[in-house]
Amino acid sequence: MKALEAVEKQEEIPPTEHPMDDVLRMDRIPHIWCPGCGIGLAVTAFVNALEKMQVDLDKVCVVSGIGCTGRVAGYIKTDSFHTTHGRALPFATGLKLGNPDLKIVVFSGDGDIVSIGGNHFIHAARRNIDILVICVNNFIYAMTGGQVAPTTPRSAYTTTSPFGNFETPSNIPQLAESAGAVYVARWTSLHMRRLTQSIIEGFQKPGFSMVEVISPCAMYYSRINKLGLGIDMMKFYHDNSVIKHGEPTENLDIGFQSQIIVGKFVDRERPTFSELYKGWKKEVKTVKRES
Amino acid sequence: MDKIIEAFHDGINKSGRDREKMCMVTDIAYDPEVVDYLGVDLFHTNRGRAIAFATGMKLSNPNLILAVFIGDMATLGGNHFVHAARRNMDLFVVCVNDFRYRKVAAQETPGDFSRLEFSSYCSIEQPLNLPHLARSNGAVYVARWTALHHEDLINSMAEALPQAGFKLIEVISPKPELLEFFYLNSEIKHGEDTAKVGIEEDKKIVVGKFVERERETFIDAYNKQHYKVLGDKFIKIAAE
Amino acid sequence: MKADPKNVFTGSHYIDGDVACAYGAVAAGCKYLAGYPITPSTEAAEAFAVKAPYVGAQFIQMEDELGSIASVLGASWAGKKAMTITSGPGFSLMMETIGLGAATETPFVIINIQRAGPSTGVPTSTGQADMMQAKWGSHGDYEIIALAPESPQESFELTFKAFNLAERYRVPVMVMSDECVGHMAEKVVIPNAQELEVEPRRYFTGSKKDYKPFKRDKDLVPWMARAGAGYKLYLTGLTHGEDGRPIFDVKTFEMKSKSLRGSTNRYLVDKIRHNRDKIIKFEEHQTDDAEVVVVSYGISARVAIKAVKEARESGIKVGTLRLVTVWPFPEKRIEELAHQVKGFVVPEINYGQVVYEVDRCSQGRANVILVPHGGAAVHDSDDILGAIKQAATDHNPYDRILEYTTALEREVFGENMVSKI
Repeated sequence: MKALEAVEKQEEIPPTEHPMDDVLRMDRIPHIWCPGCGIGLAVTAFVNALEKMQVDLDKVCVVSGIGCTGRVAGYIKTDSFHTTHGRALPFATGLKLGNPDLKIVVFSGDGDIVSIGGNHFIHAARRNIDILVICVNNFIYAMTGGQVAPTTPRSAYTTTSPFGNFETPSNIPQLAESAGAVYVARWTSLHMRRLTQSIIEGFQKPGFSMVEVISPCAMYYSRINKLGLGIDMMKFYHDNSVIKHGEPTENLDIGFQSQIIVGKFVDRERPTFSELYKGWKKEVKTVKRES
Repeated sequence: MDKIIEAFHDGINKSGRDREKMCMVTDIAYDPEVVDYLGVDLFHTNRGRAIAFATGMKLSNPNLILAVFIGDMATLGGNHFVHAARRNMDLFVVCVNDFRYRKVAAQETPGDFSRLEFSSYCSIEQPLNLPHLARSNGAVYVARWTALHHEDLINSMAEALPQAGFKLIEVISPKPELLEFFYLNSEIKHGEDTAKVGIEEDKKIVVGKFVERERETFIDAYNKQHYKVLGDKFIKIAAE
Repeated sequence: MKADPKNVFTGSHYIDGDVACAYGAVAAGCKYLAGYPITPSTEAAEAFAVKAPYVGAQFIQMEDELGSIASVLGASWAGKKAMTITSGPGFSLMMETIGLGAATETPFVIINIQRAGPSTGVPTSTGQADMMQAKWGSHGDYEIIALAPESPQESFELTFKAFNLAERYRVPVMVMSDECVGHMAEKVVIPNAQELEVEPRRYFTGSKKDYKPFKRDKDLVPWMARAGAGYKLYLTGLTHGEDGRPIFDVKTFEMKSKSLRGSTNRYLVDKIRHNRDKIIKFEEHQTDDAEVVVVSYGISARVAIKAVKEARESGIKVGTLRLVTVWPFPEKRIEELAHQVKGFVVPEINYGQVVYEVDRCSQGRANVILVPHGGAAVHDSDDILGAIKQAATDHNPYDRILEYTTALEREVFGENMVSKI
C-alpha cells in the first residue's frame, strides 16, 4: 500500500530489501524470462534451498549452458558460469575435479542437457561426478523461437514440426537412471516446496543427482499448441500431476497433455568418481612400494 | 575383430538380406579388403559420427540396410546413439567393446608398473551399461555376446538384421589373449533385465538376447503423421 | 537440366534471407536438411520443415550440430542433395566433419548465417568474422567454395548456385550469409523453373567394376556413385588413393609418384585452384577510372554503396568490387586493380580477415585500409567514406595495412588508443 500511495503522491519509491538479495544479482533484474514462464519458480526453489541449507555461497558454483534456462547462472550471486551450448556438464566436471571442495550445480534446459549435451549427461552420470543437475524441461527450444526438442511430446506442434511431432520424446529420468545417476526426481514448477526439498536432497547427496522441473513455456509451447497462459498450464499441472515416489522410471513418459508422474524415483548409493580416484591413487602407491 | 566380421558375413547370409543394398558405416578403420569380402559399401567416418552418418543415409534412401559398427563404448558418439534409439531409426548397430578389465589388467601385468598404471587409469571409472542405455532409450533388439560366442553371434545378427528399428548387439572383444577369459567368465541369460547386466568386477558377464520388441520406426511415424495431416499432398521420401 | 517445377515456388515473395535460402535449396533439388536450432538461422530450417513434406524432402532436427553435419554427408552419399544450416557456434562444431566432407569429396551445402562472436557472442546480431574459419576451419589442407549474399534475393540465388557448384566440383560449399541479410525481409522474385539450370549429380555411368570413387576427370573432379547400388564403395577419412583405399605412403602426400594411386590431398586443392576462373564471381562498379576501390561482401557491401555515392559526388574517383565468391578469392583481379589504384578500402564486420587477402594480392602496390567493426551492428557509412577519403589523399608509400579509426572508436578510445594492425 505504501508503494501505491507513493505512486499517487508521485514520490520516489524508496528501495526496499528483497528477501533474496543475498543470493540474486539484483543489478541484473529484471530478468529476460517471459510472463508466465516457470524458470523463475525453479530459481526461487533453488534459492530457497540454498538459504535453508545455510551453505557457504562462496563454495557454490552455478554452471549453465545456452537457452532460456541457460540464463539462470547470470542471476545467481555465486560464482556463475554461462558456458557454450550443451557443454555445461563437462565444464562443471572440470570445476569439480579442479577443486573438489566446490559444490557444483548445473542449471540448464532440456535441449542443453539432453539434446546437444546428451553425451556429456550420460558420461557424467556414468562417472558419478558429484554434481547436482537441475534440468528445466519446457518441452521446446524457446530461446530460438519454438523448435522441436527431444522432449516434445508426440503430436505437439512446434515451428520445426509444423505438422505435429512424430518423434518419441526422451524420458529424462529414465535416461539419468540408466546412465547411473544416484538421485533422480521430477517435479513441476507448481510443486514449490517439494521441489525445494528435492533440490536440498540432491545437493547434499554425493554423486550425480538430477532434478527435472517441468515448466510452462507460455510464449511458445503453450501458444503454438493453444494451451493458454502460464497460469492455465499451472492449473493443468495441478489437476494432472500425480505424485508417485519410487515409480519405475520407464513409466515416466510424458504424452501430449497427459498425466505427469512426479516424485522422487531414484535414491541409491554408488561410489563417486572422486572416491574411486582416491582409492586408485592409494592402490597405485602400495603397488609402487611393493615393487 | 576378424571373428566379428566373419560372424557378420554369415549373419547376412543367414538373414537373406541383399548385400547390394547394405551399407556398413563405421568409425573404426577397417581393412579395405573387408569390402571385397563382405560385398557391401563401407563408409569410414570420423570418430563417433557413424550413427549420425547412417541416419542421413537411411532417411535419404529408405531402401538401404544400414549396419553401423562402432567401438569403444560409444564414448564420442554416445549422444547420437541415445537419440537414434529414441527415434527408433532403422539401424543395426554393432558395438565392439574392447574395454580393459581392471582385475585382468592387474593380473596380467603384475610387475610392469607403467602398464598397470595405464590399465587401471582406464578403469577407475565405472563402465557404461550399454544394453540398459539402449533399452531405456527405446531400442527394439538388444543382445550381448563375446566374440567367442560365434554361433550365437551369427544367430543374433541374422535375427536382428531383418527387424525394423534400432537394433544393438554389443560384442565384447578385448585383446585376443583375454578373449578366452571373458568367454569362460560369461553366462547366458536370455531376457535378463538389462538393469542387471552391468559389467562389474568379480561378476560374470551376462550375455544373451535381452530385448526383442516392436516399436514404430522414425520413418513410419513420419509417414503416418504427415499422411494424417496432409493427406494426398504428402510426398513420401523415396530413393532417387 | 531444368529445375523441377514442383520445387520452385515461382512468384514474387516478401521473405527474409533465411527463408530465401530455404527456398533456394528446395528449388535446387535439395531433399535433405538436418539442422539444429540456432539463432539467427532457425527461420530457414522452419521454412524448409514446412515445405519438405510437399516436395518429398526430409527435414530432421538432429540432437546437435555434430550429428547434423554427419547425417548430411550420409544423405549425400545415399544419393540426395543435402544441406545443413547453422550459425557461429554450430559452424565451429561442424568443422571436423567438414574436413571429412572435403577429404571424401562429398557434395553438400552449409549455410552459415554469421552472428557476432566469438563464442556465444551476440546471437541476435550480425557479424562477418567466420570468413577465415570457413576457409581454414578444419585441420589439414583442402579448398572449399564460399559465397556471400548481400540480399534476400541473392540468398535465394546463391543457395541455388551453391548446390550447382557443390555437385559440379564435388566439394562442400558454404553460403556465408549474415544476420542482417538473414533477417532482412525484402522482395524476392523466384523465376520459372524453366529459367533455372540445375546441375545434376555427376554419376559414373561406366561398368561398376571400373568405378573408382576418386578417379578424376580432365577437370580433376571425380565421378560420384550412390550407396546401395552395388559399387562396393570404400570411403574413408584416411588419406586415400583413387580407389578410395587408405595409403600412408609419403610419396603420395608429396605427389612425387606418378602412379595412378596419386594422392587425393594434392587434388583436393587443385580441383578448385585449377577451376577457379570458372568459379569466381564478383561484381564491379565504376572501377574503370577508379583511384580507390572498395572491396566488400555481404551486408557491408550494401552499406558501402552510400559511402561510395557520396564520395563520387564529392569528386573522388571511387569504384566498388563486391565479392560474390569469397573463396576462392579473386586474386588476379585484385592484382590488376592494384596496378591502377592508389588504395583499397575494405569494410568488414571483424578486425581484419579478407583484408589480408586483398593486401596479399595487391603486393604492396596500393595502400590497403581496413574499416573494422567489432560486430553486433553494421558499419556507419561515414566511416567508410572517411576511409575512402583517406585512401584518396594518402600519399605515403605503402607500409602495411592501415586501420581506419571509426567514429565510435575515436569516441571510446580517443584518437591514438586503438591498437593498429
